[in-house]
Amino acid sequence: MAGFLQQVVEGLGAGAIYASLALALVLIYQFTGIVNFAQGELAMFSTYLAWQFTAAGLPFWLALVITLVVSFAGGMLIERVIIRPVEGAPELTVVIVTVGLFIFVNAAAGWIWSFLIKDFPNPFPEGALTAGGVSVGYSTLGILGVVGVVMGLLYLLFQHTKIGLGMRAVASNPGSARLVGIRVGWTLALGWGLAATVGAVSGVLVAPLLFLDPNLMGGVLIYAFAAATLGGFDSPVGAVVGGLIVGVAETLAGAYVGFIGSDLKIGVPLVIILVVLLLRPRGLFGRAVVERV
Amino acid sequence: MSELVVTDLVAGYGDARVLHGLSFIVAPGEICAILGPNGAGKTTLLRALSGMVRGRGSVRLGGTELTGRSPDAIARRGVAHVPEGRGTFMPLTVEENLRLGAYVRRRRTGVDADLDRIYTYFPALKSRLRQTAGSLSGGEQRMLAIGRALMLRPRLLLLDEPSLGLAPLITRELFRIVRAINEQERTTVVVVEQNAHLALGIAQQAHVLETGRIVLSGTAEQIRADEQVAQSYLGYRV
Ligand SMILES: Nc1ncnc2c1ncn2[C@@H]1O[C@H](COP(=O)(O)OP(=O)(O)OP(=O)(O)O)[C@@H](O)[C@H]1O
Ligand SMILES: [Mg+2]
Repeated sequence: MAGFLQQVVEGLGAGAIYASLALALVLIYQFTGIVNFAQGELAMFSTYLAWQFTAAGLPFWLALVITLVVSFAGGMLIERVIIRPVEGAPELTVVIVTVGLFIFVNAAAGWIWSFLIKDFPNPFPEGALTAGGVSVGYSTLGILGVVGVVMGLLYLLFQHTKIGLGMRAVASNPGSARLVGIRVGWTLALGWGLAATVGAVSGVLVAPLLFLDPNLMGGVLIYAFAAATLGGFDSPVGAVVGGLIVGVAETLAGAYVGFIGSDLKIGVPLVIILVVLLLRPRGLFGRAVVERV
Repeated sequence: MSELVVTDLVAGYGDARVLHGLSFIVAPGEICAILGPNGAGKTTLLRALSGMVRGRGSVRLGGTELTGRSPDAIARRGVAHVPEGRGTFMPLTVEENLRLGAYVRRRRTGVDADLDRIYTYFPALKSRLRQTAGSLSGGEQRMLAIGRALMLRPRLLLLDEPSLGLAPLITRELFRIVRAINEQERTTVVVVEQNAHLALGIAQQAHVLETGRIVLSGTAEQIRADEQVAQSYLGYRV
């Protein structure tokens, strides 16, 4: 039993990271219907920025704050400059633009920082908290705590501020949002800025567990896709719940399903994506998919 | 002095021109009815006034040129458009919908008082504040859409087919309220309506639109009295 709980706890730790990147995907999708394939790469780039700031001698948390601010501005800028021109274009065009962004950001990071792996500092202390035979690493606790704080802040933003109300209005009905005087274009840019910020958090959280290289987020992105699909691509709450479920499912499958082991774990998110798309395409928390005729 | 001055307004969708040069004026505090058959361009006219479709020509509100401005900029100048259909924010609560109506108002003072005023016009909304807009009936949604428009404290209110899909009793009540709003708040109103009888009942001026042109203008009485118009354009017998 303790062994099982141990796996669940570790799964939650991994799941919180998937949840944060999934949240970034959802933040953009719910406003624009755009699936941002470059989300993971943007997070990777932000993580390099954080690394650069710490390497320059800044204390970790200060480096993080600067990184988040720069990521926010960068996200908004990308929307204004790259996405805006293809707003309203056919879906395929937009997909290709975000895939192009993926390739560009990846190459840019390699060009600036080289493809050699770098050690990323772990902000959390070593060691673990043990209770009832289950030991929870401070690192896992820290990750859960940080993601929890991010969720809390987003909740406050969306539910208790005027800007957040405006953002929800745009997500629900952009036409009527314009008619009440909301600047829809800026709201979309704000969504991209927020997404880049939340993505940066996921990059900074995962980097100490892996190594920092330009392909840092490739694997995480697949799990984030599974999380967002499971939770519903237009539901922030769904992204979080989906992320946690995917993390736990992955860990349990790796531990208990004989033939999967650690090598085949990557199959878990793919299976989840497939099953959800077949059984419940809108995900656990998504709004009904309305087909336009 | 005219509140709304529309001159040679041309508008359409892509290459398809729908409005072929409309000109009319609306005096301050007046209700102006736009009548005409399906596809005449009534909805397109309101969209051009609120910036939802681009128009050429001139639309001036209280002396300020509106053509070429974005819908949100036009809303900030006091134009509230209640679009055809529901036009509410379905997943949001009734109260959130109403507060969104006041989004562009700089100061928060008066917003709560205005909410109360809206509940006196539409008591049905008051008991449903925490419900999502999507769970309201069709009639309640129309009331919500109009209530939300009023939260802007508009100087110009654009109503597109407020009666569509509503029971006759509710429709009459709705028009009575529009009249009351117009009288109490001195809001200028442009109302598009299939039910010519009702619209002419509250309007001072009316214009009949056909295939993107104004084919007849006059006071509500004149239009109502014109039997031939009644039959050919308005579809009812006097
Ligand atoms: N979104 C659109 N894109 C292209 N054409 C449109 C669009 N909306 C309306 N039209 C066309 O513009 C013309 C006028 O439509 P409009 O909706 O303004 O008429 P209406 O007078 O409001 O009609 P109804 O009484 O049926 O509501 C129609 O021929 C219609 O086909
Ligand atoms: Mg119409």
